[in-house]
Amino acid sequence: MGLRNLCLGAALVVAVSLVSPHWTAWAADALPQVQLNADSIAPRQIEELTGRNITRDYAYAWQTLAVALDQNRPQLLEGYFTGFAKEKFARAIADQKKNGLHVRYVDHGHKVNAFFYSPNGDAIQLRDNAQLEIQVFDGTKMIRQEQVGLHYLVIMTPAADRWVVRSLEAVPNF
Amino acid sequence: MKRALSALLLMIVGVLAAAGAHAAELQVPKQVTAGNAFSIPTTGSGSATFYLVGPSHSAKRQVKLGSGIEVAEDEIRTSGRYIATLCSSDGCESADFFVAATNPAHLSLLVHPSRVRVATNNAMSAVAFVFDKFHNLVLQPVPVEFHITVKDTPAFSKSLNSSNGVAWLHLNSARKEGPAQVVASIQSDSEKRVVQQVASDACNLRIRAVRKGKFIAVETEPVRDCSGNSVPDGTVVTFTKVDASGKTTVDAPVKRGVAKVDMPAQGEATISVASGVAMGNEVRIGGTP
Repeated sequence: MGLRNLCLGAALVVAVSLVSPHWTAWAADALPQVQLNADSIAPRQIEELTGRNITRDYAYAWQTLAVALDQNRPQLLEGYFTGFAKEKFARAIADQKKNGLHVRYVDHGHKVNAFFYSPNGDAIQLRDNAQLEIQVFDGTKMIRQEQVGLHYLVIMTPAADRWVVRSLEAVPNF
Repeated sequence: MKRALSALLLMIVGVLAAAGAHAAELQVPKQVTAGNAFSIPTTGSGSATFYLVGPSHSAKRQVKLGSGIEVAEDEIRTSGRYIATLCSSDGCESADFFVAATNPAHLSLLVHPSRVRVATNNAMSAVAFVFDKFHNLVLQPVPVEFHITVKDTPAFSKSLNSSNGVAWLHLNSARKEGPAQVVASIQSDSEKRVVQQVASDACNLRIRAVRKGKFIAVETEPVRDCSGNSVPDGTVVTFTKVDASGKTTVDAPVKRGVAKVDMPAQGEATISVASGVAMGNEVRIGGTP
């Protein structure tokens, strides 16, 4: 009986692993979960609506970044990235394309702490504790897969109708 | 049957263990400085494929095992996390490392607002972002010197250490109108912005009135704010006349520093003036002789 259950379990694992590329592709398209905490923000308090918009737009930024890096589509960066952040990720995607690589982020959520909001509301700095699964592909062959908790230091600035990421940098710790 | 399944399970465990053995880490430094080339040692013989995936760069190339893999300075110019992977016939080994910004080289300065009223506390703010030569945010504290100059006023300076790449301060506007030059500087760069300081609300409004037949000509003295700065032309001044016919209000813009108006009047009249929240004096004009 125990052995039968074991076999069934193994079959289930095999079945899940066969369909997993589809699941992960779907996950890359889903809006990541972002929790924003602005309790210790300074020197200016963040308005409730602004906080909601930043949370939403940061989630969209990660969603578009994940798809852009997975499908090598730099034009997707236009929506939620600007300045050096956009240039840097666009260069990475150009290199990926040239070398036949792509990187898939399976996003398991972001705990974001907003700590600096400029006096005139034209820049906000965030610390993001992100839980990610990162898969690096050479063509269709996965050469690296990892589940990681990463720290990101982020600068966002307001654009015409949304907040956009101006800097997104992984750091060893905060 | 049971034996065969057990053997299969053992095989699976063996394969997984072997896969685990290939996952031994490459010997890479935990952290390097942006733009500083380094080498990753390898062992063994034959060829392998080396991959480097970073925030602004991805590379793939063939390397010879047993010799070092050179990571060039232009491959690690962007700060952030990199994944190095080496794939040979034995499988793939990976390691990650961080690239940190190099020395501060550039500043980006935001100063707001572009126009500000004189003599107002915390009316302006200056926010400086510190970057290295590759435009990475420099996270180490860097002294940033803020220098504010206004014509005919002593200059103001303040030095602040950046925190997470940012240094900022609030500034009071000067009592005298005119451009305020805000300069932020680090050792290798400086950025300048100009804020126009303009007169504040009118203050100490004074009028004089003269009867001219059926009209009373009313004119302000030069309209200034409480610091003595002339208010800009176009500032609206409101004249109110009360006479036997009732109350009349006329708005007039300041032109060349003064506002004036001719108001019809019957008999004695009392005329007062205001601009914004500032009230002026009141004058009485006698009736027609």
